Amino acid sequence: MIWEIIKMSFESLLAKKTRSFLSMLGIIIGVSTVIAVFAIGQGAQNAVDEQFEGLSANSIIVMGIKGKQNIGSTKLKTADAEVLLEEAGHITVAVGSIQGNSTVAHSPESGSFTIVGTTPGFFDVSNLELVSGRIFTEEEINNKAKVAVLGNGAVEALFPNGGEIVGATITIAGKKAEVIGYLEELGTSMGPGKQDDSIIVPNTTAETSYLGTGGFVMLNIQVDSVDNMELATAELISILREEHGLKSGQEDDFKIMDAGSMVGAAQDAASLMSLLLTAIAAITLLVSGIGIMNVMFVTVAERTKEIGISKAIGGKRGDILSQFLLESVVLSMIGGIIGVIIGNSVIFAFRNTELITLAPSLIGIVIGFGFSVLVGVFFGFYPALKASRLDPVDALRSE
Amino acid sequence: MDNKTEIKFKQVYKSYFLANGDEIPVLKGIDLEIKKGEFVAIMGESGGGKTTLLNIIGCLHPLSKGKYYLENENIGVVRDDFTLAYIRNKKMGFIFQQFNLFTRLTAIKNVALPALYAGVPGNEREDKARELLKSLGMADRLEYKPTELSGGQQQRVAVCRALMNDPEIILADEPTGALDSKSGLELMEIFKKFKNQGRTVVMVTHTAEAARYADRIIYLRDGQVTDHDYKLESKY
Ligand SMILES: Nc1ncnc2c1ncn2[C@@H]1O[C@H](COP(=O)(O)OP(=O)(O)OP(=O)(O)O)[C@@H](O)[C@H]1O
Ligand SMILES: [Mg+2]
Repeated sequence: MIWEIIKMSFESLLAKKTRSFLSMLGIIIGVSTVIAVFAIGQGAQNAVDEQFEGLSANSIIVMGIKGKQNIGSTKLKTADAEVLLEEAGHITVAVGSIQGNSTVAHSPESGSFTIVGTTPGFFDVSNLELVSGRIFTEEEINNKAKVAVLGNGAVEALFPNGGEIVGATITIAGKKAEVIGYLEELGTSMGPGKQDDSIIVPNTTAETSYLGTGGFVMLNIQVDSVDNMELATAELISILREEHGLKSGQEDDFKIMDAGSMVGAAQDAASLMSLLLTAIAAITLLVSGIGIMNVMFVTVAERTKEIGISKAIGGKRGDILSQFLLESVVLSMIGGIIGVIIGNSVIFAFRNTELITLAPSLIGIVIGFGFSVLVGVFFGFYPALKASRLDPVDALRSE
Repeated sequence: MDNKTEIKFKQVYKSYFLANGDEIPVLKGIDLEIKKGEFVAIMGESGGGKTTLLNIIGCLHPLSKGKYYLENENIGVVRDDFTLAYIRNKKMGFIFQQFNLFTRLTAIKNVALPALYAGVPGNEREDKARELLKSLGMADRLEYKPTELSGGQQQRVAVCRALMNDPEIILADEPTGALDSKSGLELMEIFKKFKNQGRTVVMVTHTAEAARYADRIIYLRDGQVTDHDYKLESKY
């Protein structure tokens, strides 16, 4: 009996192709739109995750900023990194860097670039990889050697025609420097300054020759374990305060940012976006739900008459309802599946464009499919439920 | 013929209610009795309540007041879907004035549908439906949809559907309305055959020609029965 009813549902859907298609259209649009909206949200989330991938939860960044508005001078210097490494218990890595902008030239090209004065440890901490050449040595730091490692962007700007890069001489702030290596392209940027456009030099050279006191000092610290973050942070603060000769009551002349709070801030932004997209998805669902409802209600009169006939020749309510329920389910499911296919095709097509970041989201599929199919089934079935309660004569009268 | 009473009305009233709550009384105290194996025609002025009466007999809508006995069972008070569906499916075969066929099903599927609701297996159903359609000269129209059939052919499909579950009672609402006089007379011969098989036939009609085939005529006027023992034969 059930099998017969299933067969009849399919037959009746095929017999009314246009009506079936229109009913499905709302569901298709609803499902695919919701999937696309969720893909945008997931794409944004992935971008955040990717950005902070290299940043472990046990990193601390100390910046030479005083107070909220950066008023007053700071005594933070790159050498503080070595002091911390020696004196603090839980700190395993400490790399200081000084950054600032300066005019760099390799005749005839010239431009303003970020100069980063630091120690060899910086390359590790920042995950920088050499394409060619080498990084500078401790000895070169001690000698304040005028050597430089170029970021990929700086290479492209200063050596547009290629040629010998390693061994070439450039000028930084009017002073000569020898290029000893250059870096792989990074793509994404983290922290202040676009690192692709950076020129990395020994910290001593930057402080004495290229930047002077105008640079912005930053320390990259790694703590031995996430559990010791608080302890290490407290220790770090007291060491730096002592080093800078701050009396109790005086404000810190540096600012501490730990990875946790940075990722947290970015996550907050991403989840705000998710919230916004969820609202858009909800509106989409509402609109497509109304569309589905309209198409279904258009067919009510026709269905009501059919139900009248069924009842008049001895159909029980259960028989009639299971047939209409099945019809709605089949229709909504097919529409939902087509919607999922279209939604995911759109994601696939736009996945690698720079226009927008899309990533498939399972929640999007589940919510889009689930809701639309539910709405479809409800509005397909509810009128049938109402009609099945009528006397056959009343149902037959509707035209 | 045995003289068992099949259908009996006692002071049956039926009113319709408009959307604004106004009551439209249509049947105003009907008393009637139809015996098993009788062929009865219901006649009367348009709007007199013939269809309303036939629909009550067919359990297609409830009466407002009074008693309706079907084989001594007070069916007028029954509202249970299962029982009503059973009566409509097995006991009665209803032929509508507008046929009321499923436009998306073929002739044979339309005829077989009551047996589907009765739980008869697929093959058996289609065999019986085919046989019925053949017996009414529709052998070459089995797979046609109602929209591809003439009015008379649709009428025959509707008749076959009414006969599908071998009902005891055939109810026909102006069955000759859409037919030319020749097809109409053919249909009357078919009804006569049912009657001779011991089935009860209740037919609403406007034409005296059709009514002549009936054993007697129940005449409705202003919601009441008049002259219901009037024998047509005596007039001709
Ligand atoms: N659903 C309804 N709501 C209100 N009034 C109705 C309804 N159905 C029928 N009526 C009224 O009931 C009266 C009887 O209708 P019915 O269809 O029974 O007449 P009839 O004798 O079959 O007429 P005809 O010969 O024209 O078919 C008519 O006056 C009609 O207006
Ligand atoms: Mg009528």
